[in-house]
Amino acid sequence: MNRHMKLQTPLASAPGTQSWRARWPHLRVACVIAAAVAFAMLAALALIALMHVSIAEALAAFADGAWGSPYAIGASINRSLAFALVGTGFVIANRAKLTNVGGEGQLAIGGIVATAMSLYGGCAHLPFGLSFIVPMLCAAAAGAVWGGVPGVLKAKAGTNEVISTLLLSFIAVWLLYWCVQSEALLRQPMTNGATLPESLEIPDPTKLPAILAASGMNLNIGLPVTIVLAVASAILLARTRFGLALRAAGLNAIAAKRAGLPITSSLVGALALAGAFSGLAGALMLQGDQYSLKAGFSSGYGFDGLVVGLLARGSITGVFAAALLFGFLRSGGINMEMVAQVPSALVLIVQGIVTIALAGGALWLDKGEARR
Amino acid sequence: MNLELLAVFAGASIRLSAPMMLAATGELVSERAGVLNMSVEGMMLTGAFLGATFSWLTGNPSIGLLCGMLGVIPLALLQAFLSVTLRANQIVTGIGINILALGGTTLAYREIFGERSSAAIPGLAHWSPPVLGKLPLIGEPVFGQVWLLYAGLAVLLATSVIMRRTALGVALHATGVAPRAVDQSGLPVARIRYGAVLFSGVMSAAAGCFISIGDIHTFTEGMTNGTGYLAIAAIIFGNWKIGRTALACLLFGAATAMQFQLPMFGLHVPTALLIMLPYLLALVAVAGLIGRQTAPPALTQPFKR
Repeated sequence: MNRHMKLQTPLASAPGTQSWRARWPHLRVACVIAAAVAFAMLAALALIALMHVSIAEALAAFADGAWGSPYAIGASINRSLAFALVGTGFVIANRAKLTNVGGEGQLAIGGIVATAMSLYGGCAHLPFGLSFIVPMLCAAAAGAVWGGVPGVLKAKAGTNEVISTLLLSFIAVWLLYWCVQSEALLRQPMTNGATLPESLEIPDPTKLPAILAASGMNLNIGLPVTIVLAVASAILLARTRFGLALRAAGLNAIAAKRAGLPITSSLVGALALAGAFSGLAGALMLQGDQYSLKAGFSSGYGFDGLVVGLLARGSITGVFAAALLFGFLRSGGINMEMVAQVPSALVLIVQGIVTIALAGGALWLDKGEARR
Repeated sequence: MNLELLAVFAGASIRLSAPMMLAATGELVSERAGVLNMSVEGMMLTGAFLGATFSWLTGNPSIGLLCGMLGVIPLALLQAFLSVTLRANQIVTGIGINILALGGTTLAYREIFGERSSAAIPGLAHWSPPVLGKLPLIGEPVFGQVWLLYAGLAVLLATSVIMRRTALGVALHATGVAPRAVDQSGLPVARIRYGAVLFSGVMSAAAGCFISIGDIHTFTEGMTNGTGYLAIAAIIFGNWKIGRTALACLLFGAATAMQFQLPMFGLHVPTALLIMLPYLLALVAVAGLIGRQTAPPALTQPFKR
């Protein structure tokens, strides 16, 4: 993280005189984040108490839903995958100081394309596992296009990527709504008045194969795929020319251009990659879990992924920690609503507080890192 | 196609564009001062909730409106504190506040209203201008609107005059263009930005109240449903100019109204396409396909003395 800072002369101070905060900036960051999360949790507990629900009962329901059984653990992990992918994409784009707010829409596009390919793309009959790989790749490609457009607009017209990714996000979400409402698109054939506005279930060969079936966690190959991609991203950012170009573009685009780094293509590439990761997240959610496309398919996962990317503060390890936190939070929150009658909106409050606290604390967090 | 249906359509377009117009007026001031207040959506929702709750408790919708507009001030102060004093990423704080507002209002709504969720909430009175409202056939459907709409139009006009003609307006503009120059000329950049964000918050709350106690007369979870983002899109489409932004709101309102009106004319256009249209138009605008975009140069840039 922030390796460029090492180039600067460190503040002159003898090793022994530095405070622990300056010596272990990561520890400091971790402490601040833990404090923010703890504060948000305390606020949630206070709210539960205010609602006259027994805290013990609510917590038991939360724990039960989040990690109470192998199945619950698996569900939490599967949720985390989407957050981790969107978050990783966010971190990649953010290395060039680009903010991809469009994860939600890129995820929706991924879901649409994965559904279309699985149902009508003839993928079900492909051999060698291509039946589920091709829809995933197509979803990632579509996400890359959706994410790459703001990159091109930024390079050609100077459009602020925050605005363009956000607008494209809304367009994609309504496109998904259109797809499941219209029979000419992806809606299942209307056999009677009660036919729901959703697509048909995708054929079995296009569903993601299970792994570790004996554990009862209902995991699928999305997990190893996500881990491999995240490790590859970490290497990409830290060890390659592309990663260097991104960092240089983020620090000083003009200087980087003069130095002969391919800035324009790096910016487009970074946003396209972020889009591809979100699109793939959409495919994982559809092919690994939901199996049919419904309105509200993305249900805020893209925005959660954005927050995960932010919390991670540029580190891929951080993405995983934050993604798991959010995955377990969501699962626990859903169960808390069902069992203890505590609205799962509580989880939103926790997420909101964590986001605000860390955004507000960025000043001190950055200072801690810059001191290296 | 007859005049009566057209009048109904025009009236619906105006009614649906009103919340966008109210929110966009405040948001434009905030953006002109260099703060992209992404939390309009959350502030609208908070305003809508407080307005509905206090209107229901007191039986007086005007008190509800007042409570909504005042009650959102802490949230606006939070946004200003984060983005101006703490120089946090404005987009992130905005999204954070939106998440918080959605969670908070949903929770509070369930706690307060619970089973009584279909309780009728007293709404704001309608008013029509003296001459226009008396026009035959089109007077009532077009001009018979909630008074808050006309109040919003007055604020819009006043804002436009203040922005163009007064020292305050010039200072606001300058804060979004060259905050350092403003600072060196002895004006308080931070205070101007705080004021702009507060104004944006209060106007957003009024916009939320328009939806909850002006139009629908109830509160539902997440009822603003993206209107706040549409207000931001309208500003982009209006190229950060107040008159064009108001027209963009009207256009977006018409696009929304068409969902309900087109079937009456026997036309079947996918609803999603109509809802998507405003975002598409804003995207086209922001891509520079219709004239040059002139966003305030210091938009989203924190200022450090």
